[in-house]
Amino acid sequence: MDPQALEPDRDTFPKLVRCNAEHRGHKVAIREKDYGIWQSYTWREYFAEARLIALGLAALGFTRGDKTAIIGDNRPQLYWTVMASQALGGVPVPIYQDSIEKETQYIIDHAEVRFAVVEDQEQVDKLLHIKAQCPHLEHIIYDDPRGMRGYSEPFLTSLAELQELGKKFEVGHPTYFDDELARGKPDDVAIICYTSGTTGVPKGAMLSHRNLIVTARNAAEFEGLQSDEQILSYLPMAWVGDHIFSYAQSIVTGFAINCPESVATVLHDLKEIGPTYFFAPPRIWENILTNVMVRLEDCAWPKRKLVHFFLELAQDIERARLSRQPVPAWRRLLYPLGRLFVYGPLRDNLGMRRIRRAYTAGEAIGPEIFVFFRALGVNVKQIYGMTEASVFITVQKNGDVRLDTAGTPIPNVELRISPEGEVLYRSPGVFLGYYKNPEATRQTVEDGWVHSGDAGIVGHDGDLRIIDRAKDVGRLADGTLFAPKYLENKLKFSQYIKEAVCIGQGRQFVTALINIDLAAVGNWAERRNIAYTSYTDLSQKSEVYDLIHQEVGRVNRSLAEDEALRGARIRKFLILHKELDPDDEEITRTRKVRRGYIAQKYAALIETLYGDREHVEVEAKVTYEDGRTGTIRADVRIRDVAVPGDSVSP
Amino acid sequence: MTGPDARPLLEVAGVSVRFGALVALNQVSLGICHGEILAIIGPNGAGKTTLLNAISGFYHPYEGRIVFDGKDRTHLKPPDVAALGIARTFQNVALFKGMSVLDNLMTGRLLKMKGSFLLEALYWGPARRQELEHRAFVERIIDFLEIQAIRKTAAGRLPYGLQKRVELGRALAAEPELLLLDEPMAGMNVEEKEDMCRFILDVNGEFGTTIALIEHDMGVVMDISDRVAVLDYGRKIADGAPEQVRKDPAVRDAYLGVSHD
Amino acid sequence: MTELLYGIAVAPFKDMAGSPAFFAEVLIGGVFAGLMYSLVALGFVLIFKASGVFNFAQGAMVLFAALTLVGLIERGVPVALALVLTTAVMVALAWVIERVVLRPLVNQEHIILFMATIGLTFFLEGFGEMVWGANVKKLDIGIPDRSFIVAGIQINQLELSAAVTSAVLVAVLAVFFQRTRIGRALRAVADDHEAALSIGIPLKTIWMIVWSVAGIVAIVAGIMWGAKSGVQFSLSLIALKSLPVLILGGFTSVPGAIVGGLIIGVGEKMGEVYWGPLVGGAIENWFAYVLALAFLLFRPQGLFGEKIIERV
Repeated sequence: MDPQALEPDRDTFPKLVRCNAEHRGHKVAIREKDYGIWQSYTWREYFAEARLIALGLAALGFTRGDKTAIIGDNRPQLYWTVMASQALGGVPVPIYQDSIEKETQYIIDHAEVRFAVVEDQEQVDKLLHIKAQCPHLEHIIYDDPRGMRGYSEPFLTSLAELQELGKKFEVGHPTYFDDELARGKPDDVAIICYTSGTTGVPKGAMLSHRNLIVTARNAAEFEGLQSDEQILSYLPMAWVGDHIFSYAQSIVTGFAINCPESVATVLHDLKEIGPTYFFAPPRIWENILTNVMVRLEDCAWPKRKLVHFFLELAQDIERARLSRQPVPAWRRLLYPLGRLFVYGPLRDNLGMRRIRRAYTAGEAIGPEIFVFFRALGVNVKQIYGMTEASVFITVQKNGDVRLDTAGTPIPNVELRISPEGEVLYRSPGVFLGYYKNPEATRQTVEDGWVHSGDAGIVGHDGDLRIIDRAKDVGRLADGTLFAPKYLENKLKFSQYIKEAVCIGQGRQFVTALINIDLAAVGNWAERRNIAYTSYTDLSQKSEVYDLIHQEVGRVNRSLAEDEALRGARIRKFLILHKELDPDDEEITRTRKVRRGYIAQKYAALIETLYGDREHVEVEAKVTYEDGRTGTIRADVRIRDVAVPGDSVSP
Repeated sequence: MTGPDARPLLEVAGVSVRFGALVALNQVSLGICHGEILAIIGPNGAGKTTLLNAISGFYHPYEGRIVFDGKDRTHLKPPDVAALGIARTFQNVALFKGMSVLDNLMTGRLLKMKGSFLLEALYWGPARRQELEHRAFVERIIDFLEIQAIRKTAAGRLPYGLQKRVELGRALAAEPELLLLDEPMAGMNVEEKEDMCRFILDVNGEFGTTIALIEHDMGVVMDISDRVAVLDYGRKIADGAPEQVRKDPAVRDAYLGVSHD
Repeated sequence: MTELLYGIAVAPFKDMAGSPAFFAEVLIGGVFAGLMYSLVALGFVLIFKASGVFNFAQGAMVLFAALTLVGLIERGVPVALALVLTTAVMVALAWVIERVVLRPLVNQEHIILFMATIGLTFFLEGFGEMVWGANVKKLDIGIPDRSFIVAGIQINQLELSAAVTSAVLVAVLAVFFQRTRIGRALRAVADDHEAALSIGIPLKTIWMIVWSVAGIVAIVAGIMWGAKSGVQFSLSLIALKSLPVLILGGFTSVPGAIVGGLIIGVGEKMGEVYWGPLVGGAIENWFAYVLALAFLLFRPQGLFGEKIIERV
């Protein structure tokens, strides 16, 4: 069967919703917590509400191809509006609710938006400010009437009034809605998602009904999603991820979505809903973990100790599992006890008891965070996705989860690594192009293959590993792939290494400058009765070099597993005599390494790494907390690392 | 918006309050009209809070009359004043600190609750229905004030700005006709002040509640009030539209002249 | 040394295991005594929560209630009517206290109110003696002081009914405070007087209700103690025993008063029977105070007391 084939009466989202209304009409489609109570709407109500919104839009003069901006928190009314626009052959354009006026204006203007449906007064005010600069924008419709009593602009309509208009319109045009719905084609644009590029202006990725329906269906089959799933829809509607989880997959699979009461109540609502299918970017996982730890600190010490003990136990087991190492029998024996007293109750408390699968994506998740949740028994997995692919490219398979992979392609997705090391993909989800930007489309898509912009490798087991942004990946002198951030992240997985800077661009081999973690290494040293006076002193102890040597060896062993990365193993390293410090402009305030500056500042040290000397005298300027500057002197050692099975020696 | 009309909802006529030899209020006369937002301003020690306390029954005037809704209620006690439909907040937040935000707001509904003890105790029949109705009402206030996330938090644990908001919520729970706010924005940062202004305007606009408030921030006063009354040394020295009051020379003297402290 | 350790850590438990029926009897005796303490402590907690007054006169109220009841029964009033009348007397007493003691002293220092309740204690003792006489009286409310045996355990009928009555009373109070409008008002008053006034809670009515409830609790406690050991002036002293109960349970917690009472009741009975011989007995007299002292050192807010919440 052609994977892209769609039945004619289910080939657009409005048609699918109509099917749901007919076949599971009494089942809950969407819930919203309002006035402290979860209010539910069935599929029948979903369809009926969306229908009235559509008729109301039609009454205001909506025609096929019109764009509807949708701005606000996740609200049933806004999801209905997505469907309503699609039903009339229009295109919803969700915009981030926290976008500043300039960004919002750009998108509304660029997409030639005629109708804007927004959540509340705040968004209305924003649009009123920019309306003069958006010549296409004709109507603003708001859901929450709160605070709107003083507004008299003729182009403002409340959603309730809009639905009333719809009812009146229907009297004169009884078959209008059904006719328009029937005219929808699977290859019509279903949505335009603007990607907030870190550089340049946003680009509007056009996704068709077919893109989204096929991808949502394939991923649902791959993951075994059922119609009884529950998800919490709390991530911005403008983000393609929310569109696929809360709209496409919900409609395709028929499961219910739940809109939180407010941004501030998300974690509490999570607990009440207990979703079975959950998505969070790394920063949310991290927030939850921090919350747990803070609450734990408030507990009486016997309880605290007990919980810590069991959490560490679970994390040790999980770490061993993830790296495919055996788990000692006593740990396996203790685990059920921990599940009874700690993991189960904690999972319950976090609202994660029923989670069957959870995703993290977007950026690299800290290994300790990933391990923590998996150790609790939450099946969190990494996925790799992009707006241009209708999200899903690869997903980690249940039971085959590793720390540093992004999983294998879902059905009908093809992967290829370009000679430059860039990840290319081709799938039914691949977008129609960027709206009004054929140039950018041409640059991104070649013969159906999309350039992801990420450098990656595919392991022998088919697992995709993203190593860096393609433009940040370099080459050694012999042409071997050199991905500094990937190596540095691997080094930083070690609790003893706080920062690392890898060097190798255009060089014979890879070297590393390392910052030890003063707390962890200091603690380690104390337990071994190694006395030290300062960071500088500790960093140059030969025992510490031995310790870090082991860690570098560990990284090298894992690099050796990949043919493409073997050549980029670390041959020499040194431990910096001072901590990289934002005050010294070596790293940014968000702790990103400033490579160029470091290369310049530590040029002498780096040259030594590529020379024959075993140690070097250095002096460095430091800025103290109070703003004074001073100089520290040290004798920094260089350590060679043996790289077995490789003929090239430094 | 209904806009203020001229009928006074509350009339203070020649009221004086004394503490021993100190005359805190000296023959103050002031009307608060239906639906308006009245700001009461004045230097420290001018008698603003004393006036609020006299209206809400915490102090009793030594002379003069206070008429609410056409009825003389000069000598009523605080609970009776509350029962008439006058709710208030305090300068130094007076919340039930050990109780949750929800319970604080529910307590604000006490005056509206009726029914027999026995049924309440059994949580049965009309009592149960009543509890649910009041809960629904309180939930509207929670939504209105955007405090959903702290519903179950003990009031005492909240930051100051939120406590003020909850206190306003408790006053609103009583569905008052007249709301007295004693420095609702004291100690708040700019953002919190903006929020509070919005809430006050919305309360006035959407529920039609008459509001009298004491405030020091002149920007806020000029922005949100329909009328301003100025007290100084226990006397009323000006009363009128914000613009008019601002230009009044007597007011300038009171503020810019010799400090009273 | 080993012998001493054996005496402390092993022998008592062997004894317990050796004669479970006796152990159960000791336990029941402890629970009964504990409930009595709880009842008195409960009166304290109610008043302390609602008005911040540490009511030293709670013990005297127990005595006064018991004296009134006995006096009425002795004068030939039927038991049921006597109960109703005593209740009326206690409510009237609450009204008088609110009028004569609390209202004039409102907004005074806590210590002054505390002194006032000491005065109240002497007044109640003196007044009770004046009206009803100073003899030890046997209180007979129709429940025989007989025992029956269940599963080899001797159970005193009077003690059993006392325990059941106390449990019912506590349950009723809990429902009253958690569920009813007055209960909510009461918690509000306990928290902030001024705020309570401003939302329409009449403080004086609430005080009056609280003191009445404390009076009714005192009647129940008075009946129980009186039926067991006679109505006499030492009843007034059980107030002293409830002080450690309060420290244990926390001054503001109703469940704390109950659990604290039970811990002390059971603890001192067990201590007396099983460990008493080691130190020559009389553990019962000091156990409660030593335990309270330990609590003051390590957990001053008590088991259930609120930590003082301060915003920083």
